[in-house]
Amino acid sequence: MVDFIQMVVSGVAVGSSYALMGLAMVIIYKTSEVPNFAQGEMALVTSFFTMMLLTTFGYPVWLAFALAFVFAAALGAFLEFAILRRAKNPNILGTIVITIGLEMVLLGLVSWKFGAEHKTMPFPIGPYDSFIIGDIFISKLETLTLFSALGLMILLFFFFRYTRLGLAMKATQQNSVAAKIVGIRTNRIMMMTWGISSVVGATAGLLISPVIMHPFMMWDPLLKGFAAAVMGGMTSLPGAVAAAYLLGIIENLFGGYVSIEFKSVVAFAIIVLVLCFKPSGLFARHYVKKV
Amino acid sequence: MKKGLMVLFGCMVFFLGFAAFAWAEEGVTDTEIHIGQWGPQTGPAAAWGSVARGTGDYFKWINATGGIHGRKIVYHMFDDGYNPAKTKAGVKELQEGTGIFAWASGVGTSPGLAVKDYLMERKVPWVGPAAGSLHWVSPPEKYLFGVYPLYYNEARALVRYAVETMGKKRVAVAYLNDEYGKNGLRGAVKELENHGMELVAQVPVEKSDSDMKPHVMKLRKSDADMVLLWTTVSHAVRIVGTAKAMNFAPQFMSTSTCSDFPLMTHISKGLWEGVICATFGELPDSDHPGMRHYKKEVFDQFASKDERWGMFYAAGIIFIEPMIAALKNAGPELTREKFVAEMEKITGFKGIGPEVNFKPFDPDDMYSRQGTRQTFLVQCLADGKAKKLTDWITLE
Repeated sequence: MVDFIQMVVSGVAVGSSYALMGLAMVIIYKTSEVPNFAQGEMALVTSFFTMMLLTTFGYPVWLAFALAFVFAAALGAFLEFAILRRAKNPNILGTIVITIGLEMVLLGLVSWKFGAEHKTMPFPIGPYDSFIIGDIFISKLETLTLFSALGLMILLFFFFRYTRLGLAMKATQQNSVAAKIVGIRTNRIMMMTWGISSVVGATAGLLISPVIMHPFMMWDPLLKGFAAAVMGGMTSLPGAVAAAYLLGIIENLFGGYVSIEFKSVVAFAIIVLVLCFKPSGLFARHYVKKV
Repeated sequence: MKKGLMVLFGCMVFFLGFAAFAWAEEGVTDTEIHIGQWGPQTGPAAAWGSVARGTGDYFKWINATGGIHGRKIVYHMFDDGYNPAKTKAGVKELQEGTGIFAWASGVGTSPGLAVKDYLMERKVPWVGPAAGSLHWVSPPEKYLFGVYPLYYNEARALVRYAVETMGKKRVAVAYLNDEYGKNGLRGAVKELENHGMELVAQVPVEKSDSDMKPHVMKLRKSDADMVLLWTTVSHAVRIVGTAKAMNFAPQFMSTSTCSDFPLMTHISKGLWEGVICATFGELPDSDHPGMRHYKKEVFDQFASKDERWGMFYAAGIIFIEPMIAALKNAGPELTREKFVAEMEKITGFKGIGPEVNFKPFDPDDMYSRQGTRQTFLVQCLADGKAKKLTDWITLE
């Protein structure tokens, strides 16, 4: 029983970083219907930028993190403005290819500037500091990630539902022409969406960085976050978060009771099953258009 | 008459040209010897990228001190990102485009396996693969010379030390689920068999795994008092850290690929202290005269400012020392056959690595091409320094 509880707790803990990446992907998808495959590397650039502030310039953690979020927002907005917007009416496939290209450029930039050797980021909470409750272990850093993911999810949920900007973002996604007609500056909305998404993704990157940093550190969280977003329905924020936790728990239970060798693959097997039986995802509403 | 002279002239040109072609060796000119190497400068194994850079600086030093019989070494190094497909493409491009005389080192079992048959079919010498895989020498190949201690033997040395010297009774292995990890696993199983024991757990780790809690839970459940880690650097650090968080404290031991203690101490935030590793060369900061010599002559003069004098950088020299000795001994008329013959004459060679011995090629004797059977064990101290636990151990 202790093992089972530990696996569930560990699953929730690891699901938190998937949840943050999933949230970041959903935010952009909600507005532009584009899965952003550069999301992981955008977080990577921000994480290495933060590490540079901490180690090279000796900034205190609070200031470095505050600057990191500003940087992340600016980076997201810049990429949308300078790259995505310049594409001449690309279809969804074209936009996906652009985000993959961006991913490669950002990865190369980090490898070139910071080198490929493994590093860690200084952080007040040690990567392996933990609470032990009975025989159950809970990592402090992962607890922080859990609260960050839940907090951001609630914040974003209310933002999209009750603020003018959030509603404008939803309107842009549902019909950008109509949104323009009613006076919404859709270009500006897209830029802000990328900025907000970049900040959410950067939160995941910053909370992974105290454990280990290298140019490929965001691949696994990105793929799992994408899996969670697909499971959750790509447009549902609570759906992406719930699917991420579900994914983390299933992975851990599968690794513990079935096969540790195929633990990582189980996420993708779940995507296939979800797409076969419920293509709109587990938590999104299924819209049917009458023509 | 005029026509006859033309035919005679044509024949002379043809035969002289052919004779010149027959004499020249691929990758060797009057002034140059072309040597290639791949090495991961990016990707999951980039921590081992300094091996290829160490070799490059070593060649720069050789060139600066007169070269080899008046020839300079032209070094062709490329980044394969630890991706076997890229390794094969890069090796073929250089071999068939530029013409490489011999290949030096090259990180990784999987990348090496991707080009082994290609190089051997073309009879291109390859010295010192930077991986201790049994695949290089089982069966042995005439043109492939192993200098790295076999992972199989490293694992045996570590398990032997744990059982005989430390009195450990319950040994578990966490291994990367590829040929690199399985070589270590096989060595541990064999040595335990010799002691009438069995593994209490064997836990595979996939390259893409980033969460080590399920793995550590399995290890903890086995109640192991020694855990052998045959994984990548980052997996090893995560396992040790997660084990600490879970209050699971066996003696951790690991392969030479995780023996760069300053790096391991830094990325584990000090948790690597106490871990015992096998190693393939004298310690970089030791007083060994060879190490001091290379630090001063090669690293201080030729390394880039971002480079760090560490075990992996020194490995780029260790694996290539016998190659340089054979190139020198082959004399000015350098051919691949002469070079291989000189490699085979290397016995009792002692540089900054283990003792190296080769023999004339014998397809039934892997030690005709596996140059070393030695390793020694070191323990990581609090500041990333190393404490030597044993002298060189020779395993049969």
